[in-house]
Amino acid sequence: MVSKIAMGLFTAGVLALGLSSAAMADAKASIEAREACMKANGAMMKVMVPVIKGQKPYDKAANDAAIAAAEAACAGWAGWWGEDTKPGGDLKTEAKAEIWTDPAGFEAAGGAYMKAVAAVKASADEASFKAAFPDLGKSCQGCHEKFRQADQ
Amino acid sequence: MRLFTRRTGLALALIAALGLAAFWLLSAPRPLTAADVPGHTPDLANGKILYHAGGCISCHQPSPELAGVENTVPAGGAPLHTPVGTLYPMNLTPDAATGIGQWTDLQFLNAVMRGISPEGENLIPALPYTSYAHMKPEDVLDIRAYLASLPPVTSPEQEADITALPLIRRGVGLWKWVGLDTTPWKPDPAQSESWNRGSYLVNGPGHCQECHTPRNVFMALDESRAFAGGPHPEGKGKVPSLRGLIERGRYTDAADLASALKDGEAMGYDGLASGGMGQVQRNISQLPESDIQAIADYIASLK
Repeated sequence: MVSKIAMGLFTAGVLALGLSSAAMADAKASIEAREACMKANGAMMKVMVPVIKGQKPYDKAANDAAIAAAEAACAGWAGWWGEDTKPGGDLKTEAKAEIWTDPAGFEAAGGAYMKAVAAVKASADEASFKAAFPDLGKSCQGCHEKFRQADQ
Repeated sequence: MRLFTRRTGLALALIAALGLAAFWLLSAPRPLTAADVPGHTPDLANGKILYHAGGCISCHQPSPELAGVENTVPAGGAPLHTPVGTLYPMNLTPDAATGIGQWTDLQFLNAVMRGISPEGENLIPALPYTSYAHMKPEDVLDIRAYLASLPPVTSPEQEADITALPLIRRGVGLWKWVGLDTTPWKPDPAQSESWNRGSYLVNGPGHCQECHTPRNVFMALDESRAFAGGPHPEGKGKVPSLRGLIERGRYTDAADLASALKDGEAMGYDGLASGGMGQVQRNISQLPESDIQAIADYIASLK
């Protein structure tokens, strides 16, 4: 009898451990995916900004490739914001708590970015690209100001 | 033999009284006097530049409860959260009743350069008077003239939400002996005019060191580690070092850094929006290009 209870507790303990480490792995994967997405966005900026500054010639193919890479890296975005990926936990993240306390604001900031990317994607020539780009840059800036922490 | 006689009791009481008296004297504000107010014709344009360099608006934002006040007007009242409590930075508009319209030039200089209110109380050093103390008083008066040109807004002062505030203010007075260096800024003749302008803007109005220089055990800026970065003043995260930005490859050169300060993350310069730097960058972007370049020239030279 006692051994049955002990076994039961042991099994439950193993299960709980397993579950929590699985959740931990999920949280870690989410945070890493967010970071990979942001890296791809940063790489996209590195392709576009030199054109805006006049340091490189306009190259629509390069822009489209960078956007496609960012879209691919960010495809799972909606599923990466679990409660266990908040700041202040065991895992390091530059995400701010405001993402979870102001979901509407975060949504709006993401929406501004999506809209700006779509406009850059739709731009067919240099002039329309240069007209569309500032909103994209501002969307990075605006979201980071509210929802990204200082260096960790 | 009794250890605690009436005599030792008296001696202890005397020591305690002396200690209190010393605390009271040492923690008293030490203000500028009328003789320190320069004869000066205010230059509004200069005041506007230094107002932006000082980033006044970032803390003196209008309270969200003030309907119809543009967020570029320093009407104050918006909460400023600090590790010691919540402050409500005051109304800098010339409103006579709730702003600084009635202040004398000496009162303004004392608040900005010595951290002393018109009532003679020590101000919490969230107001970076520790940096403003190095400014030219003429420049501070120009900022006052610029503020006086703004439309007055009624925005009553709200007491800071800090435990034992009067005692804390006295403590600040004591702290000023180690934390407040009132040496006026001096140019370095070996450096360019632009570098010197940058040095002044960074170390005076810009008060960059308040966050980018770590503090010692007395919470005073540790000048031996100037600009080496430190913990974030709001308690979470770090403030990056400004030393060796070019050598470490963060920026290609001083011109690149100037461009970063002007455009920030909107032009892909990573790390210039979060941790409060977004507001700083927006304020800097209001400066003339030559001043932005000057700041960059100086910062880029930090090793």
